[in-house]
Amino acid sequence: MNDRGMLFRFCLMGFLMLSVSTVLGVRLAMLHLGPHEARLEQIERMHRFKQDLLGRRGTIVDGSGTTSLLALDMAADHVVADPQVVLEADALIPTASRLAELLDLEVDAVAVKLHQPGRRYTRISMFVPRELSRAISEENLTGVFMRPAHLRYYPHGALACHVLGFVNHEGVGSAGVEQHYDRYLRGRPGVIQGRLDALRREIYTERVVADPGDPGHKIELTIDQHIQLVVERELDALLSSSRSKAAWAIVQDIRTGEILAMASRPAYDLNDFRHSTADQRLNRAIGVNFEPGSSLKPAAFAAALNEGIVTPETVFHAENGSWLYKGRPLRDVSAQGYLTVTEGLQRSSNILTAKMSLMLGNDRLYQYFRDFGLGQPLGIDLPGEEAGIFHPPERWYGISPTRIPIGQGIATTALQLLTVQSTIANDGYRMRPYVVRRILTADGEVVMENQPSVVARVIRSDTAATMRELLHQSTLDFGTGRRAVFAGMKVAGKTGTAQKPGPGGYSNTDYIASFAGFFPADDPVIAMVIVADEPRPVTGGGRVAAPVFAAIGEEVSRYLGLYGDRSSSRMQMVQSSQDVSGR
Amino acid sequence: MIKNQILSILRTLWRANRWLHLVIGLLLTTGVFFIYSSTYVSDDAAVRPLYMRQLVWILVGLGLYIGFTVSDYRQLKRYEWAIFGGSLVLLILVLFVGRTMYGAKRWIMIYGGIGIQPSELAKLATIILLAGRLSEPGRNRRTPHELLLTLLLVALPAALILQQPDLGTAMVFLPTSFVLMFVAGVPFRYIGGLAGAGVCMVLLLLSALLLPARLGANEAMQERIASWTGLSAYQRARIEVFFNPSLDPLGAGWNRRQSEIAVGSGGLRGKGYLQGTQNILGYLPRSVAPTDFIYSVIAEEKGFIGASSVLGAFIALLGMVFSTALRTLDSHGRLLCVGVGTFIFFHVFINIAMTVGLMPITGLPLPLLSYGGSFLMVVMSALGIVQSVYVRCDRRTSYR
Repeated sequence: MNDRGMLFRFCLMGFLMLSVSTVLGVRLAMLHLGPHEARLEQIERMHRFKQDLLGRRGTIVDGSGTTSLLALDMAADHVVADPQVVLEADALIPTASRLAELLDLEVDAVAVKLHQPGRRYTRISMFVPRELSRAISEENLTGVFMRPAHLRYYPHGALACHVLGFVNHEGVGSAGVEQHYDRYLRGRPGVIQGRLDALRREIYTERVVADPGDPGHKIELTIDQHIQLVVERELDALLSSSRSKAAWAIVQDIRTGEILAMASRPAYDLNDFRHSTADQRLNRAIGVNFEPGSSLKPAAFAAALNEGIVTPETVFHAENGSWLYKGRPLRDVSAQGYLTVTEGLQRSSNILTAKMSLMLGNDRLYQYFRDFGLGQPLGIDLPGEEAGIFHPPERWYGISPTRIPIGQGIATTALQLLTVQSTIANDGYRMRPYVVRRILTADGEVVMENQPSVVARVIRSDTAATMRELLHQSTLDFGTGRRAVFAGMKVAGKTGTAQKPGPGGYSNTDYIASFAGFFPADDPVIAMVIVADEPRPVTGGGRVAAPVFAAIGEEVSRYLGLYGDRSSSRMQMVQSSQDVSGR
Repeated sequence: MIKNQILSILRTLWRANRWLHLVIGLLLTTGVFFIYSSTYVSDDAAVRPLYMRQLVWILVGLGLYIGFTVSDYRQLKRYEWAIFGGSLVLLILVLFVGRTMYGAKRWIMIYGGIGIQPSELAKLATIILLAGRLSEPGRNRRTPHELLLTLLLVALPAALILQQPDLGTAMVFLPTSFVLMFVAGVPFRYIGGLAGAGVCMVLLLLSALLLPARLGANEAMQERIASWTGLSAYQRARIEVFFNPSLDPLGAGWNRRQSEIAVGSGGLRGKGYLQGTQNILGYLPRSVAPTDFIYSVIAEEKGFIGASSVLGAFIALLGMVFSTALRTLDSHGRLLCVGVGTFIFFHVFINIAMTVGLMPITGLPLPLLSYGGSFLMVVMSALGIVQSVYVRCDRRTSYR
């Protein structure tokens, strides 16, 4: 091997190496000096991170002076996982069993969720309370992450469930006040912008925007949780004693129109709304139209008295219990001869009511009923209010003028039935019903306030006073509503026992029993309606609904201080109503 | 006495290639700084003081460097079989007692978490043995059976390393010994034949991996054909992803893509020392940033200027190594220099090429810059041998 040959080979090698190095240099220059804005942009996009934060939802408090929390947001997390990471770490079994143990789930179900090769996201459990999710985080399970969320929590479970409503998983109010006032309750959503490292964890020091958003407004209800509790307890008792299919009740402050309690049975636990049925979620107090029967009669009486057609002393002949009108018999429960108007209401005479209404005439009857709010939504601030069914006179049948005043061929909601009573109690002024008193910011600034508002003046004061006396009479000795009376209180009100209409006419077994009234009769504060659907075997409103009225009324009167000396009672009433209304 | 010895050592070092001292010193210092840069944000407390451990390695490496510089490289001829045999024993040993890391048995743990990689040692041992054999005056390097024997000698450590398995390191043996044989004067027809065979093998391998899918073979068929190559699944994946990065942008393609982005985002001047976001945020995997991907950290933080300076430093270093080979009249020394130069060149080339996305990811470190004890020891020893050749190539001293 000569030196020249070696030199040649050597140089060839050196040349090759140098040219290969040049390739590297060119590649470096291309990468570095090329349009690297695009690459920077690529990096930025990869690192950037934006997350919308659901604003903390406002609380809902009750309307008693204590402003107890009825709905609030609690800090929680969704437990989610990246199945691919879990599988690559070969940690399927330990992760699944640990998660199942901590979250009280089936191991198999968790394992199935985690065993999804190629998937990058799966939900293990949603709305896990913060203490538990923190414990899970501290386990440092590979591929298991937390996503912050707010858990809507209702401390009293089913209490006032139909008024409060619930929030669905997307954070949208989906029933009751949660739905109707969603835009107030919903906070302004916040946003986090920042950067992520390669493990997609946020780099806290590089947070660009950290706007927590604004919490939603606080809502103060008119519902008083104590009254609500009493009403719900008594409804439950009614349900079991009368074996009713359903029952509902409303308590109202007659001077303002504020709803103090509204309950419907069957009910459901708000914290577990997913497992409720549509039947349970239905707010029957405003969402069910039914033929009320006799409990609607006061509207007809008030109309006739207001028009001066009759006085309480006017006498009608009650046809001994059966009266043929346009070829169809109209019957009374108890056969009577001559009756005064007062006695007619007291004994709930269908025939007297029908004759009186015929004197009034269809148009005036229709007009008064409309003024009382029948056949139209009353505008309560809750979703799902029904309007009732009440056709104008042109569409009435021949016998309608004698049936509508006794609550047949007309359907109302319980709220409408109640409004008739509270209008009479409130000197003829019909107030707009509402369940939300006011809306406040987190700082206590009032955003919106529902003022009591008069919708219509239906009857004169003297007519109203007469009606109060008449309704009081019907709860005395021989009155159908005598079981509505409770100790030491003058009560006014009217029972109703209506056959339910069905295919082929009215049912002989299915009734709706109701009682609507107010107290104290001579200086009313509270109006109340009780409805029981298909009570068995006792069906009468006087036997089924009136005792519930008494039971609730007694506790409510004691709670509001409506007993005692009349003058001081008046003072107490003013006092307590101020407490009630929070002003 | 001791004073005299120290003086003599200093004199030898002064007579050595002082520019080479300088370039080695610069590269080592750069390495420490960027190892710090790539680890200072790490969550792992064991990783953060890595640059301190590198400093210790550098001290040991400098000892080896000086030791090899002052001692006569011609002594190596006497020990070449012992060194080679020793490294083979270690390679066999590592298969039994080795510590498994990142899926391969590469390490023999000595004490306190310090391990050595026999495969790195074997690289140098093979170069020393080949340089010795190919420069023996009596040997006829042109006979085929002599050539076959040489190839077998190279194949032995390479096969053992493949068992670990470590394809990248095993691959280095081929070009290094190929260039050594070429420069040593093995006839063109053999060299050409070998090169042709190598190219054919690579083409066959690639076509076995890539063609079945193109031709529309079903999955099972593809799998069967691919298994003939003898490559493990992750190796095949790396190669397939190299030719088609969009196949798996988050898995095997991730490092390559992120490294390319890191280099590209550096621009002309870079983002500044300790400012490389790809590195800080962990887009460059932290486990490999101070070792295999140190160049990408440099390129991101110091930009084109820094990256090309490092490349320039390596070219200068290789230039000095190869000029030493030209300077010396002793063919043993010349082949040693060529072997060391080729060995360093391939590491530099493959490492940078994979960093900039020109080659599939292979775990080859960058000489003098990457963190890693065994490899640094080997490179420093090899450069010490080159200096030893330099010191003794002077006509006045070479035959002293």
